[in-house]
Amino acid sequence: MHRVQLDQFEGPLDLLLFFIRRDEIDIYDIPIARIADEYLEAVRVLEQVDLDAAADFIYTAALLIQIKARMLMPRPEVDEDGEPIDPRQELVDRLIEYVRYKEAAGALDGRFEARRCLFTRGAASAEPERTLAPEEVTYRATIFDLISALGTALDRSIEADTPVHAVGRESYALDEQREWVLKRVGEVGSVSFGVLVSERSKAFVIVTFLAVLDLAQRQAVRVVFGVRPEDFALEPPRGEPVVDHEPALTA
Amino acid sequence: MEVDRVTTDTFEQAVEALVFASDVALRPADIARVYGDVTGAEVPEADVETAVERLNLAYRTAGRAVRIERWGGGYRMATIEGVAPFVRALFDDDGERRLSRSLLETLAVIAYKQPTTKPEVDHVRGVASDYALRQLLERGFVEIAGRADSIGRPLLYATTPFFLDQFGLADLDALPTPREIEEILSDPTFNKERARLLSELVPTLGTTAPDPEAAADPETPPDAPHTDD
Repeated sequence: MHRVQLDQFEGPLDLLLFFIRRDEIDIYDIPIARIADEYLEAVRVLEQVDLDAAADFIYTAALLIQIKARMLMPRPEVDEDGEPIDPRQELVDRLIEYVRYKEAAGALDGRFEARRCLFTRGAASAEPERTLAPEEVTYRATIFDLISALGTALDRSIEADTPVHAVGRESYALDEQREWVLKRVGEVGSVSFGVLVSERSKAFVIVTFLAVLDLAQRQAVRVVFGVRPEDFALEPPRGEPVVDHEPALTA
Repeated sequence: MEVDRVTTDTFEQAVEALVFASDVALRPADIARVYGDVTGAEVPEADVETAVERLNLAYRTAGRAVRIERWGGGYRMATIEGVAPFVRALFDDDGERRLSRSLLETLAVIAYKQPTTKPEVDHVRGVASDYALRQLLERGFVEIAGRADSIGRPLLYATTPFFLDQFGLADLDALPTPREIEEILSDPTFNKERARLLSELVPTLGTTAPDPEAAADPETPPDAPHTDD
C-alpha cells in the first residue's frame, strides 16, 4: 500500500517541490537549512517504508546538505567576475527545468488520452477476430469463473447422486491426465470441460481440472468461457502464445 | 497544349479513397504521386491538403463520424471522439494502456530535448530512467538516433513517427509549448494531488508546517481527506 503511494509520488525532486509548494516558498529563495533538515527527515521515514525507493532520494538529500554547508561559509564564493555565487542556483535551475518537463508530461498525457478516443482503420484490421460477431459470447473470465465451473462439475460427478457401496482407492496421475486431456482436445478440436468429465468420479474431475490448469499455464490449451459460466471449453492453442492478461506493452 | 485539369470530384475522391484504404499514414507526397502515376497529371502537394480540408468540411457539415487526421506527417482516417464508446466496445479495449508518470516524464524530456542521452534524462528527472527508457523503446515511441560526441559517446534517443501518431501530433512543432515557470508554480492545481499523497504517507509532514490550502479552505477540516480531483 505504501509502495503504491511512493511510486505515485515519484522522484526526489518531487519531494522538494512538495515542500516548496506546501510552504509557499519562493523558488528563487529557498531556505536551504530548513528544507534540507525536513528533506532528510522525510527520507528517513521513507527508508523505513521502502528502502529501494528511498535510495533515489539520498543523492538529493546529500546535495541539499552540501548547499547548506556552502551557505554557512563566512565568505561567499565568487565567480571569475568577482560576483557572489548563490550555491542554490544550480539546484533552482534544475528544479525549474524539472517542473517544466513535468508540466509537459501532463500535456502529453492529455494528448495521448484524447488520441485514444480516435480509432483508425489499421486498428480495426489488426485484430479482425474481435470485430466479427462471435457465435458464442465470450468474456474475460476470472479465477472465480474457473472455480465455479469446477464446482458445477463436482456437483455433477457421480458421487453426488450415486450411493457408494464399496470403498476403493482411486488414483489418477496428473501427467497421465494431462496427456489424456491433450489427446481429447487434439481429436475433437474444442471440447467442453463438463463433457470431458461427465459421469466421472470426484477424484477424476479434480485431477482433470488440475491437468487443465497446468496445460493452460503452459499455453498448451486455451480455456474459453462461453455464455454459461458454469462450464468452459478447451481449445487447441492459437499459432501465437495467448496471454490472457496482456501486459500493457502492445502498441 | 491542354493541361489536364484536375476536376475536384475525381481528385477529392481519389484522396478520400486512398486515405480510407490505407492502414498506415499516407504522406501528401504519396497521395500526389499515386494520383500522378494513374492519371499522368501532376498534382502539387498543396492540392492534397486542400482536398483533405474540403473532405473534412464535408464530413463535418454532413455530421459524419470520421475525419481525416494529419498525424506524424501523414493522413489517416479516424473516427471522431463522440463515437469512441461504440468503437471501443467493438474493440474490447481493456483501457489498461495508460502511460505511467515516469514513462510520460521520460518521454517528455526526450520529446523536447531530442536527440538526447540517458544521462541527460536522468539529470532532469533526478532518478535513473533505465526502465522507463526501455519501455518507451519497446512501445516504439522512442528510438536510438546515433551516438553523442561527448565523452563515452552515449546513445542518443529521439521520438519516432509512431510517437507522433499515438499522441495525435502532425509533427514535432505541434508539441504543446511548455508554460513559463511562474505560471506553473502559481497554478493552484499544481502538485496538489502529490501533496495529498505525501501527507497521507507521512502524516507528520502535513503538520510540521502550516498547510496553506487546508487553512484557507473552511469547508475542509484539516484532517478530512481531500476530495478534489
